Amino acid sequence: MTALAIAVGLVLADSSIVVLALPEIYRDLDTSVAGVTWVLVSFNLVMALAAVPAAHLARRVGPGRTAAVGLAVFAGAGLACAASATLSTLIVARCVQALGGAAAVTAVLELLPATVGSERRATAIWATAGATGAALGPAVGGVLTELVSWQSIFLIQVPIALAAAVPIFAVARHEAATGVLSAELRQTGRPHLLANLALAMVSAAIAAALFLLVLLLIEGWRLTPIGAAIVVSAMPLAALLGSRLGRLVPSARARAAAGAILVSGGLGSLALLPKAEVALTVPPQVMVGIGLALVLSALTETALAGRAPQAIHGGWTISARHAGVVIGLLALTPIFTADISEQRQDAIDAGTAVILDSRVPALLKIDLAQRIESRLEEEKGRVPTIGSAFDPLPSDPGERAAVVELRDELQEQLNRGATHAFSPSFGLAAILGLLALIPIGLARRVEL
Amino acid sequence: MSAVSRGRVLVGGAIVAAVALAGVYLAAGGSSYAPAKTQDPCEHRPWRNPEGLEQIAEQFSLSALDGAACKLGVSRETLAQALATPEARERFTERYGIDDAELARAIRAGLLRAVDDAERAGALSPILAVPLRQTLRSIPLDQAIELINDAESLLDQAQSFLGPAQGLLEQFLP
Repeated sequence: MTALAIAVGLVLADSSIVVLALPEIYRDLDTSVAGVTWVLVSFNLVMALAAVPAAHLARRVGPGRTAAVGLAVFAGAGLACAASATLSTLIVARCVQALGGAAAVTAVLELLPATVGSERRATAIWATAGATGAALGPAVGGVLTELVSWQSIFLIQVPIALAAAVPIFAVARHEAATGVLSAELRQTGRPHLLANLALAMVSAAIAAALFLLVLLLIEGWRLTPIGAAIVVSAMPLAALLGSRLGRLVPSARARAAAGAILVSGGLGSLALLPKAEVALTVPPQVMVGIGLALVLSALTETALAGRAPQAIHGGWTISARHAGVVIGLLALTPIFTADISEQRQDAIDAGTAVILDSRVPALLKIDLAQRIESRLEEEKGRVPTIGSAFDPLPSDPGERAAVVELRDELQEQLNRGATHAFSPSFGLAAILGLLALIPIGLARRVEL
Repeated sequence: MSAVSRGRVLVGGAIVAAVALAGVYLAAGGSSYAPAKTQDPCEHRPWRNPEGLEQIAEQFSLSALDGAACKLGVSRETLAQALATPEARERFTERYGIDDAELARAIRAGLLRAVDDAERAGALSPILAVPLRQTLRSIPLDQAIELINDAESLLDQAQSFLGPAQGLLEQFLP
């Protein structure tokens, strides 16, 4: 059972594990924000497209064989990702990784009931493993990126995937020996449309929350990947709390609704950050974390409850979740890319006004303006840290105080610009999360 | 507590928590945490401490920058960035589709407005403002272009930009 849960957690962590590495990949492979987004989008898109066919494959050739081969492909593609020297090869490798991952995750859901004794328990373990993996992914990826490299994120998955595949190979051998499976095939019922639709919408909002928050922390506020990893670990920790809370409430509908409200509330609060302070992101993250644990498990359970075969319906939930992630990323990336460019210019204009109106002597002002201009050129369109442009500080105490005041005010304007640039995207993601309440509410009347 | 009640408490609690946190952030200024808006350069700014040659020269150049920016229909800050380096100036003229002559005319208009502002602020005697205006009006276009073209960097530009203004002020100030 542990190997199966690890396989699910590992694959679903992969949809978010590279989030904190994106800025490093962005620089290393010399690409654009929109380009690097495809490292995430490609994986999630292929997962969305391949999950249901992979589930059918698992039913035809055997879940053990499908899961084992899927994990082997996942591991091999992970090696290719680590070896990628260009964005295009990385994206191709990510697509192959997603194919293997889709096969493994859906097949595992078919294997789990026999291992744990019931479909209900299997569903709960499968959903929890997936939510835990997805929530832990960014923090693990951030630590690995800073301590080793972005490539290490993919390399470390290879032995884990192979270790998880070993016990599954035994099942695969048994399937090969007995050669029975098609006889056990049951007719596939239709997927739970409303639960899957809500899952897609909430996933879009959650993906946006993670992606945007990481970019805000690293690109906007210039935190290191490990610093950002520590900050965003608030979300998985809160998700653990959300899981415990969820156990107290039997109604899946109530958990789904409360979860969607909390995710939206957290995102709405991130859109309204009153200052560029890391601590202020923690309460919204806690809210999103609790919300995601409640809503993802409730909607997955609803989508799978009483439906057979589990692998196919599990495939639909995987498909819905990853399609949601793709929609969230593709819809919001152009918006915040345009916003960050506009806000950067607004921040530079505001900073220029600060320099022009400052008490610093004119000639020093001009010298500083030149150094700041050079810093902006070096940063090639990113939000810069401006401190080094002011070094060395003047020796005259009066001038020094004026320059320090100018530096702080200038950095404040840049922080304001960086923070404000993300507000519309966080706001839109919050609306997406709220819209999920419509299918959740309709499900009450129509299908539950 | 029944299962239904627990569900209602959970949903109610989620609504309260979401609204409360967003409300606190909104009350703390979350909706207005953005870069400060730049002022319209066509609106006259009050002169600060127009005493001493250095401050007057600085205020004079800021007023000139405002006047030139107003004439070109851009912000004072955009024009200041454009004058920082020759490359920045080239990007600016390309982006806004203006030539050096137009830029020079705008700078001359800005200098004239700076004289008006200096006079209004009491930093320049009205008796001296009249010949100063005439001097600035009679600056040939190519000289105005030279004024900005000679500079290789913002420092040089500002010196050549401030230099004549400062020199003129030194001549005309009592």
